[in-house]
Amino acid sequence: MIRTENLCKRYGKFEAVHDLNLDVRPGTVFGFIGENGAGKTTTLSILATLMLPTSGRAFIGSAEVTSEPATVRRLIGYMPDVFGVYDDLTVREYLGFYGTAYEVPSTVMEARIQELLQMVNLDERADAYVNALSRGMQQRLGLARCLMHDPPVLILDEPASGLDPRSRIEMREIIKGLRGQGKTILISSHILPELADMCDEIGIIKRGELVACASVEVVTARANGQRQMCLEVLENGDSLAEWVNRHPLVTDIVASNEQKVELLFAGDDLDQADFIRQLLHEGYLLTSFHEVGGSLEELFLHLTKEEHRLDQETAAAKQKI
Amino acid sequence: MHFIESWFGNPLWRKELRQRMRSGRTVLAMSLYLFVIGTVAFVFMYVNVQGQTLLLQPTRTAELFMFLSYLQLAMISFVTPGIAAGAISGERERQTLAVLLTTPLSPASIIVAKFISSISFLLLLIVMTLPLYSIVFLFGGVVPSQVLAVFGLQSLTLGTIASVSVFWSTWLRKTGWSTVLSYATVAMVFLGSAILGYFLDDLANHSPDQGIITWVSGLCYSMNPIYMQASLEATLGFITPAFHQPAVASVFSIVTTHDLSSSISWLFFLVVYGFGSVILLVTSIWRLRPGGWIVLKKRVIKWLLR
Repeated sequence: MIRTENLCKRYGKFEAVHDLNLDVRPGTVFGFIGENGAGKTTTLSILATLMLPTSGRAFIGSAEVTSEPATVRRLIGYMPDVFGVYDDLTVREYLGFYGTAYEVPSTVMEARIQELLQMVNLDERADAYVNALSRGMQQRLGLARCLMHDPPVLILDEPASGLDPRSRIEMREIIKGLRGQGKTILISSHILPELADMCDEIGIIKRGELVACASVEVVTARANGQRQMCLEVLENGDSLAEWVNRHPLVTDIVASNEQKVELLFAGDDLDQADFIRQLLHEGYLLTSFHEVGGSLEELFLHLTKEEHRLDQETAAAKQKI
Repeated sequence: MHFIESWFGNPLWRKELRQRMRSGRTVLAMSLYLFVIGTVAFVFMYVNVQGQTLLLQPTRTAELFMFLSYLQLAMISFVTPGIAAGAISGERERQTLAVLLTTPLSPASIIVAKFISSISFLLLLIVMTLPLYSIVFLFGGVVPSQVLAVFGLQSLTLGTIASVSVFWSTWLRKTGWSTVLSYATVAMVFLGSAILGYFLDDLANHSPDQGIITWVSGLCYSMNPIYMQASLEATLGFITPAFHQPAVASVFSIVTTHDLSSSISWLFFLVVYGFGSVILLVTSIWRLRPGGWIVLKKRVIKWLLR
């Protein structure tokens, strides 16, 4: 539903996004993680038709964002990381304005506004001025605004940033509800445990490049007391998959082919050693064995560690100068 | 019909009008403007008739009309940049522009809606003063077609100043800078054209190419709404005592010397203001379109290299 092909965006010599290839399937909630300046907002801005890529292509459904921006705008609901509201309009007028802009028929407008206000728990504030709402309420109103035209795709840039814990929980529950409605959601956030709770898949972007992209189960397996392991054999990968699937400590097969099996293992180091011993005893020609994955935060810290170290070294060098 | 519906149905324009008319400042500004113009009109009349209405002569009424119309032109020149210069930069500062650009509203409809909503308020101010002008009709000296001609000129001036302001507002991020440059542009047109015209006139007196330089200085004066309004009033036959006052006389003298009532001068004025406004608005639309400026530059380079 959302796809990018070798997407690049350069500002002069600085490359904000480099050869980014994303593929978000319909009905998926995709979490987009990266440090400040990693290229998240740039990517989302390109997908929202606010910016042209330097090279590469991006699609929402079958519509290409640069050549068919008008079609893309009808398919998406976009919520930027920082956005303002028209203070001197009431909540109902605010949604009505965007509803008219999205050409929502006037016959269903009022019902649509009411439905969305109930969804974001603002129905009692429908006639209040927008400037009388708290930050959390304005953020929820922004989400309702994205949904006025009932788009199949939502692009949410840090929707919970700057919110108090209660507002964050409310926002998370609303997004979970939208996932239940089958919306495709691309969401960026710094609050990683929340992303793990909401998302089906996670992509980690570092200096404009996608460095990891997998299902949340895979990357959070270890956080749940499971390890994701990768076994590589010379041959008989399929029968190995059958064998490991019968093993009592193997909870799931993540992926398998003729020479490789990725699995989730719910055991400690001793169990792991015993598992390998049994595997060799069965006669499989094991060529490689390693653990992959970890908690979302661990994975994120691991992938951005080098960048953080370089940044610190640069800062220290600048101070010396 | 569909075109009319689509424009009247432009949600941005409707929202802008709703927001503007809801503000207490708007009511205050309208009341204050009517009060000032009304007071000026009544004081002017009182001084002239000294309590005896029959003493008011049609020439005096025409003078009042001229005075009011220049007051209105000054109001347009001062107020329009203040209102229109925040049209797009204000959206940027409020961080509402990105969201607006992701709606199906095209950059063209956004710019036109902003332009129309900016001039709507000022047009309302102008229309509001019509009852005061009806006093002028009451005593004679001016006919409705003359009033309409002056209002037409003022509306075109208003539109051009608004498009200059919207242009700066689209190109600059800060409303402060956009307001400064809008006022500077208006000052350049009003003062700059007069000073340049005067300078060229002086040069023409000492030059063998007097004819060409005088013609160019005439074009400079034709770009100035003050002189063009004077030319309109001269054409309409407003020979009033004010005509003989030095400052007014110098304006009318330039009008006569350079024949600013001629169709060439008017054509030049209409082309510069009309097409100028269209070009500024089209450029603003390109600027607002995401990546539009890059696309435009590429197309221009491609066209030049062809």
